Amino acid sequence: MLERILIAGTGGQGIVLVGKLLATIAVRSVRHVTFFPAYGAEVRGGTSSCEVVLSSEEISSPVSEVFDSMVLMNQDSASRFLPKADQKGLVLLNASMCRRPAGLAPVMVPASEQAVKLGDIRVANFIMLGALLASKPLVPSHRVEDGLRQFFSERSSDVVDMNIRAFRHGLGLVSHGSSRRQTA
Amino acid sequence: MSARVLMTGNDAIGEGAIRAGCDGYYGYPITPQNELTAYMARHMPENGRVFVQAESELAAINMVFGTAAAGKRAMTSSSSPGISLKQEGISYLAGCQLPAVIVNVQRAGPGLGDITPSQADYFQATKGGGHGDYHQIVLAPASVQEMHDLTIRAFVLADRYRTPVMILTDGRLGQMMEPLELSDKPAPRVPQKKWALDGAKGRKPNIIRSLYLVPGQLEAINHALQDKYRQIEQKEVDYEERLTDDCEVLLVAYGTCARLCTGALKEARAAGRRVGLLRPITLWPYPYARLRELSTRVRQVLVVEMSSGQMLEDVRLAVDGTTRVDFVGRMGGGVPTQSEVLRHLCRRTNGRCRDQRKLHNRGRK
Amino acid sequence: MTRRISIYRRPEALQDTQTHYCPGCGHGLVHKVIAEVVDKLGIRERTIGIAPVGCAVLAYFYWNFDVSESAHGRVPAVATGIKRVLPDRVVFGYQGDGDLAAIGMGETIHAANRGEAITTIFINNAVYGMTGGQMAPTTLVGQKTSTTPQGRNLDTEGPPIRMCELLNTLEKPHYIERVAFTGIAGVRRIRKAIENAFLAQIEHNAYSFVEVLSPCPIYQRRSPADALKFVEEQMAVYFPVRVFRQDGKVVNA
Repeated sequence: MLERILIAGTGGQGIVLVGKLLATIAVRSVRHVTFFPAYGAEVRGGTSSCEVVLSSEEISSPVSEVFDSMVLMNQDSASRFLPKADQKGLVLLNASMCRRPAGLAPVMVPASEQAVKLGDIRVANFIMLGALLASKPLVPSHRVEDGLRQFFSERSSDVVDMNIRAFRHGLGLVSHGSSRRQTA
Repeated sequence: MSARVLMTGNDAIGEGAIRAGCDGYYGYPITPQNELTAYMARHMPENGRVFVQAESELAAINMVFGTAAAGKRAMTSSSSPGISLKQEGISYLAGCQLPAVIVNVQRAGPGLGDITPSQADYFQATKGGGHGDYHQIVLAPASVQEMHDLTIRAFVLADRYRTPVMILTDGRLGQMMEPLELSDKPAPRVPQKKWALDGAKGRKPNIIRSLYLVPGQLEAINHALQDKYRQIEQKEVDYEERLTDDCEVLLVAYGTCARLCTGALKEARAAGRRVGLLRPITLWPYPYARLRELSTRVRQVLVVEMSSGQMLEDVRLAVDGTTRVDFVGRMGGGVPTQSEVLRHLCRRTNGRCRDQRKLHNRGRK
Repeated sequence: MTRRISIYRRPEALQDTQTHYCPGCGHGLVHKVIAEVVDKLGIRERTIGIAPVGCAVLAYFYWNFDVSESAHGRVPAVATGIKRVLPDRVVFGYQGDGDLAAIGMGETIHAANRGEAITTIFINNAVYGMTGGQMAPTTLVGQKTSTTPQGRNLDTEGPPIRMCELLNTLEKPHYIERVAFTGIAGVRRIRKAIENAFLAQIEHNAYSFVEVLSPCPIYQRRSPADALKFVEEQMAVYFPVRVFRQDGKVVNA
């Protein structure tokens, strides 16, 4: 197994959080895992991206030149990273903030819009995580919710529940075909 | 055997230090090692140990001096510009023969530079940096596991030899996360420190000093230091080798660069090239002897660094003309890629040893 | 007949560029105010600023006059080096609380003590911003930061340092004032103080110091509006907002 995942968006969208969470959960079932954050100079409003690598063999670099999956949450990130996208790779775009690109077949997930409907725009990242894992079962799904609970164990149960709800919603969006995989 | 946890390299150093029995940590904010300072701020007091955010890196190294003089285990951390500030203090630690652990999470320079990773403090760490004839032991982790393990080793070596020990790493290893197993062994035993300053009750007073004004005294001290360094060179050299039994080309790299060389190694071998890797774990003392030995059996030694070529000079010293030495490097925060390394492997040459330090062409796509 | 009157425009001493500061940060406004004062005094072409290490490290991209970088905390030393050889230029240092009162405390005190004819502008937001929210010398007791996760503790960290009061014990400073982001009147006072400080340098060849209590929403851990309240209701209580030294004479509270 070798899965190189890029997650990117604007500062404040919880990009690093979702990457760390995915990496933390993956440690239990994948032999080699790395997580690497990259920050823009601004803490809020600048670009935020991170890479998660899952591999059955030793990982020689936490930073990759090619990605098997990309999760892009705003237009700036899409413009910046889509040129690196592989035809063979999976691309998930936050349809609420990204234009449909030509020449690729991304999965368009209306994450921000759905997050608002759920009650908090900040959980768009968990919706995207659900969509990613529904498209590619990288970790056993029963682990994810346990992982979510453990990761947020010091927060209020409202926060935990909202995040889980968002995650499940994202899972459902892709499974039910509400997010359209656009054919090129 | 404990469970695997996901941690940043910086946090792993912190946890390693706590498990090694570090009594006092003195830090100051500087990117890319702030996670370590914050980790110590949270966990040292929890474990009944001392944490101080000093007013500067200069103050911090002098606080380390004090804690070490008192016979306790002391550590500080910083990144390149802050490590420059600590050089005077490191020379004092060496001159006074005090044990201490200093962590340098390197960033690009010179000057204020950038927060991106670098290996351009190699000279500073291994050749001096501070004034005078001294050395500090320099350990170079290449994984989050080693960030933890080598920190524990650093405290042991510091106490064993009464010397400063530096963990030389970089911002990439510091900020990446990967799983590791935390040590569940008790903290390494602290040797008796009869020289320490803890109150001259029932004993002659101790003095900690590096000033020797009587003619001949300081020269004798220097000889004693050099004897100690020869001992360390004999006993503490450490390195890792991969596929060196039959290699024709030897990669030499440490830390992040060694890691990416493992990928290059795999790819090269898959393409039928007999490549091997020597990864120094101690940068001082340097594995000159083993490198010399290996160089007599290979066609090319290829050094990979995030610098203009600093460890390159130690490699040339070791190889001593027995085979060609080439170099792949990036500066100013650039990180060599696997493909760049492979390109340098596959170059056909006329066998002459070329000067590879033409870096203005390197790294440009 | 219609006439165009310019009511409000970008100062010439401020570059037409976007800053990188967080929403609600105090730096942007103080940069602008400094530029307004430089324009008003007509000194743009002989002003030299020194930028700190901290969030304002890129200030040289925002002002439209000569600016140097400095190693962390060494701004007053760099300023001294410039002013001594170019005494007719207007030289000012711009520093945060780590730069001025932690690592640079020695340089700060000695430049003031020597009475260097420079102006020091001190942006006090009670926290280290650039490096991710660590404790600063001016962090309030009980204030949570990444290196005081339980809140600043008087026993182990000591109290916050009052720089105006500290420098006011020295003989040579000519002008010392603390101002704050407390509404429109507060901002007007910031502008006036900076003008007074520059005039102390220009007219009296003397040392001047202005401390500006500022918001940092991200690391004061509040919304921009609440950060301003923090400045007014908490910081300004511990750090009194007033003139400390005028015309070289101590002003009592």
